[in-house]
Amino acid sequence: MNTVPPSPGPVPALDPLRQLVRRDQDHECDGFGAARVCVRVVAVAELPTRFGRFRIVAFWNNRDGKEHVAMVHGDVVGAAAVPVRLHSECLTGDVMGSLRCDCRDQLVEGLAEIQRHERGVLLYLRQEGRGIGLVNKIRAYTLQEQGLDTVEANLALGFRDDERDYAVAAHMLHSLEVHSVRLITNNPEKMRQLTQHRVEVVDRIPHVIPPNEHNRFYLETKGRRSGHLLDFSDGPRLAEQSDPPLVDGMPAPGQTPAP
Amino acid sequence: MAQSGEVVVVGGGVSGLACAQALRAAGRPVVVLERARGVGGRCATRRLGEQPLDHGVAFLHGRDPSFLAALREVAATRIDGWPRVIEGTGRPCQPEAFAAGSWRLAFAEGLTAFPKHLARGVEVRLQAEVTALSEDGPALGVSLQDGAPLRAGRVVLALACEQARALLATLGPAPPEVRSAIALLDMARSDPCLALLATYGAGAPRPAWDVAYPEGSRVLQIASHDSAKRAGAPPLALVLQAHPGWSRQHLEDPAWPQALLAEAARLLGPWAGAPVAFEPHRWRLARVDGSAELAGPLLLTLPGGARLGLCGDRFAPGGGVEAAWQSGRRLAQRLLEEP
Repeated sequence: MNTVPPSPGPVPALDPLRQLVRRDQDHECDGFGAARVCVRVVAVAELPTRFGRFRIVAFWNNRDGKEHVAMVHGDVVGAAAVPVRLHSECLTGDVMGSLRCDCRDQLVEGLAEIQRHERGVLLYLRQEGRGIGLVNKIRAYTLQEQGLDTVEANLALGFRDDERDYAVAAHMLHSLEVHSVRLITNNPEKMRQLTQHRVEVVDRIPHVIPPNEHNRFYLETKGRRSGHLLDFSDGPRLAEQSDPPLVDGMPAPGQTPAP
Repeated sequence: MAQSGEVVVVGGGVSGLACAQALRAAGRPVVVLERARGVGGRCATRRLGEQPLDHGVAFLHGRDPSFLAALREVAATRIDGWPRVIEGTGRPCQPEAFAAGSWRLAFAEGLTAFPKHLARGVEVRLQAEVTALSEDGPALGVSLQDGAPLRAGRVVLALACEQARALLATLGPAPPEVRSAIALLDMARSDPCLALLATYGAGAPRPAWDVAYPEGSRVLQIASHDSAKRAGAPPLALVLQAHPGWSRQHLEDPAWPQALLAEAARLLGPWAGAPVAFEPHRWRLARVDGSAELAGPLLLTLPGGARLGLCGDRFAPGGGVEAAWQSGRRLAQRLLEEP
């Protein structure tokens, strides 16, 4: 636990998360990553959800108008080995329940997984369409409808791992004074890059989605293939999260024989 | 016949030159083919008498530290922070130019100082217009309007989307990679921009602003106080640029310069409509809408093994000169990382 200044009498000590807002009022550092992104904790509130009680922490950043947030469960300020999940915004999946991707499954399972631990953080990164925006993501869908989903088109449309995600995420974790993390991921690259930004990753928690009627196809395919997944019942699905999905019962990527 | 490993870059704007410069710095032979008589594309400066006027991009802006470092290397008189005084609440071409964390600047010698700097040491052939591409075994043939065709294993199209699209169509029946690229290019079109370079007499008032974005006009989008960038005390010069929609409607209208001047007079004052000299310029493919931006450059592999790159201001997030530069550099990196 972080040391909290002694309070005079029965007034409860100020919530460590709320203290971060005051601490960050004038925060300015050299920034993280190539874009030198710097964030500040600007607002904290209780957020009861259908997955359990969270506190939601809002961040400002010096690079763009994107309002990244952290969903915080338990005492994480100053804590070590905190379970952490990174999730990139996906309006179509997270909100609309699109079946073109598995984002909602990944988000719901991420929040649920964090609640299973004593503490944890889900960083919700406002990088729709991997940072290229909703319009271009919808254009990517148009291309797919035309049967054109080659690797280059997906790259140009932003469907790939983006180093900047990790830079802003790393700064957010530092701002929360999370000393070390247990990353909920199937993606070793994500761990490597967080480490590069001086976030200590002490462990990996496999991110496993329970099977349901919508992701059954994962169990029948060999996993990730050139940036997108083939769902033989409904057509192609784009991997919008930087993690290859792992559905309970499916062999882990890398352990599967080549197609 | 090109040297082995040579890359042919079609288009000598900021993106093509940034790509060529990065390739050359890594020791890769490269030649840039530019249709016009000078480099720079829309990062353009013209002279009216002795006075340089930036009639394309009005100023440079960016936030990528490596782009800003590249601008600092330019051997020219940098005017940091320009434009310093903004007038009006109209919409800038790129509102993010004025967001926190964005740096703005100009060069007293004109903004072509930047592309000229990028072109240093790079073999550039001017007035070399490419008319067609053809697959030729493991290479691409590049046909020119004048002169012998070139042949190279790697060709980069650093052009406006419509121009790149037209060259891709000359390849004939397209493999999936090329069809996919064409579909991407077709998803947005470039906007035109009608621009007027105007110089004024001694009686004209000196505007207090560097750049004006007039509100309440569907005609005039930006008035750039160009002479405010110049050393000494040159005559007052403005560059007036029209909104994309109005530009599209009036592209073939011979009376557009007068209409644009009349709107300048209405918005800025009667003096603005009465220059002592003016030069019209039609940018047919001036800029891409923000919603058309892509995440990165394309590098297509053709069935015979030749590779075709596409870069430009649409091929990096953010648009503008910064995106053009970034996409060119990123494409060069991908070409250099090839096994």
